[in-house]
Amino acid sequence: MNSIITIAKRDFKSGFATPKSGAVLFFFLLFMGLFFSSFVKTFIEFQARAGMMGGGGAPTMEQLIKAMFYNLHFILILIVPAVTMGTFAEEQKSQTLRLLQTAPIKAYEIVLGKFVAAAGLMGFVLFLSIGYPLFLKAHGTPDMGVVMSSYLGLFLLICAQISLGIWISSLTKNQFLAFIFTMFGLFMMLVLDFISKAVTTSGGQIESILQYFGTTKHLDVFFKGLITVGDSMFFVLFTAMFLFFTTVTLDSRRWK
Amino acid sequence: MNMIEVSGLSKSFGANRVLDGVSFVVPKGTVVGFLGANGAGKTTTMDILCGCIGADQGDVKIAGYDITDQDLEAKRRLGYLPDVPPLYGELTVQESIKFSAEINGLQSSKIKSRLNQVLERLSLGEVRGKLVGNLSKGFRQRVALAQALVHDPEVLILDEPTEGLDPHQILQMRELIKSLRGDHTVLLSSHILSEIQNVADSIIIINRGKVVTHGTYEDLTSKFEGKRAYKVRVGNSYENAMAALRNLPEISELKLSDDRSISFNLSSANEVGLDRVAKTVVDGGFGLRELSQTSKSLEDVFYQLTR
Repeated sequence: MNSIITIAKRDFKSGFATPKSGAVLFFFLLFMGLFFSSFVKTFIEFQARAGMMGGGGAPTMEQLIKAMFYNLHFILILIVPAVTMGTFAEEQKSQTLRLLQTAPIKAYEIVLGKFVAAAGLMGFVLFLSIGYPLFLKAHGTPDMGVVMSSYLGLFLLICAQISLGIWISSLTKNQFLAFIFTMFGLFMMLVLDFISKAVTTSGGQIESILQYFGTTKHLDVFFKGLITVGDSMFFVLFTAMFLFFTTVTLDSRRWK
Repeated sequence: MNMIEVSGLSKSFGANRVLDGVSFVVPKGTVVGFLGANGAGKTTTMDILCGCIGADQGDVKIAGYDITDQDLEAKRRLGYLPDVPPLYGELTVQESIKFSAEINGLQSSKIKSRLNQVLERLSLGEVRGKLVGNLSKGFRQRVALAQALVHDPEVLILDEPTEGLDPHQILQMRELIKSLRGDHTVLLSSHILSEIQNVADSIIIINRGKVVTHGTYEDLTSKFEGKRAYKVRVGNSYENAMAALRNLPEISELKLSDDRSISFNLSSANEVGLDRVAKTVVDGGFGLRELSQTSKSLEDVFYQLTR
């Protein structure tokens, strides 16, 4: 346990010491800010238009919040690979992984330490976005329950995305490759729901299976203000599975 | 007691067989040199000894613990300085060493005192607050060694620790390694012969993935003195002197050295041949200036074994 904390602390500190994290924070806040202001502007315009037409069909605050969180899901596809690409790829390239591999610690402790650091960094990034719903609260009456459950869902999604990114990073020494493949993987997680509809028109088992492995369907539940065991477990098991794969990847180099 | 026991180690990367039945032991408290040309299998052996990669066949024991089945116990007793120093450039010297101490399980109550000890021993006090990424190669190498030493391991594995250092830094590193003898068991790899000759109690020579010999410097040089090396300096006409000497049956590997002396090997079973060499030079009127036995250097042994 101590080793996990030690590795996480170092990774977290190093994460903030490099320009990469600054760039991640900058682009995250920039994109969020641009999209958010655009959504709010559209929201106000549509409300004004609806007001002129007697108030029917006016957009609700819940719709605005949902749009904001969907958008956040999309931004994460760019941000998470930037955070995870170096976790193992850089350590392998610079040979610092040997420092960890020759210490009396288990491979899963190394993996968990790196996961905790990346999740901490992304948790911090997510925390910075809380200013947007607070802005809405100051100017309206958003359902804070929905906001909270959406944040929980997004954090679980981030954990799943990080675990996939860390696994891909453990397979290569090339950070750029890790970035591209993680981005592709996360994009597939996002669009699997839409792809499933294109694959089959029958609404049969294949569609259900593809939908299940996509993240959108599970995240939707959180965005509706619901926290279900099934959807939470999906993200938890997804995370655990890829952390296990990473541990196996690291350990396999030591196998006879 | 043997602190490192290696038996039948084999490893292939694809079709390339890098190690082929490597076996050796390193007794407690000694400094053993691991000598081989680039690509001989030194780093692969050391990576296996430290548990970074697995062997296809064979066993490794560190302080009696199997590196595969009892890896945590073995690694607790191990410090490793790889050929490329494993350093995080964004940490300070002090943070790097502390990080190594923590992941190597040093008790938190002991970390501060051990940190100060290694900083002092490796003369890193003046740069303790500096970022590792901003240090010179020599300092970086010392920080990496401090990381390997901080938890006071019984066994130290150093892979080419003087690589890239200037002559002054090489001398410092050499003295440091010598000072580790007794308290630590050190396996030191290098492809620089003088490096090993100066610090090691015994030497293992590896070539193309196989251990070709293991012994003290004296053992190795005497083992390969079956044909003793001599040199003769003549006053004039080297070419004619060489032609005359070439006719003597007990002489082999006759050649003109850089210092204009003629070097040759003479069968030890036929020492009387030395008289004949002197007689040939004198009778031929070449002017005998010097006739002496040259001790075989580690370099000679190395080239003889690895060519």
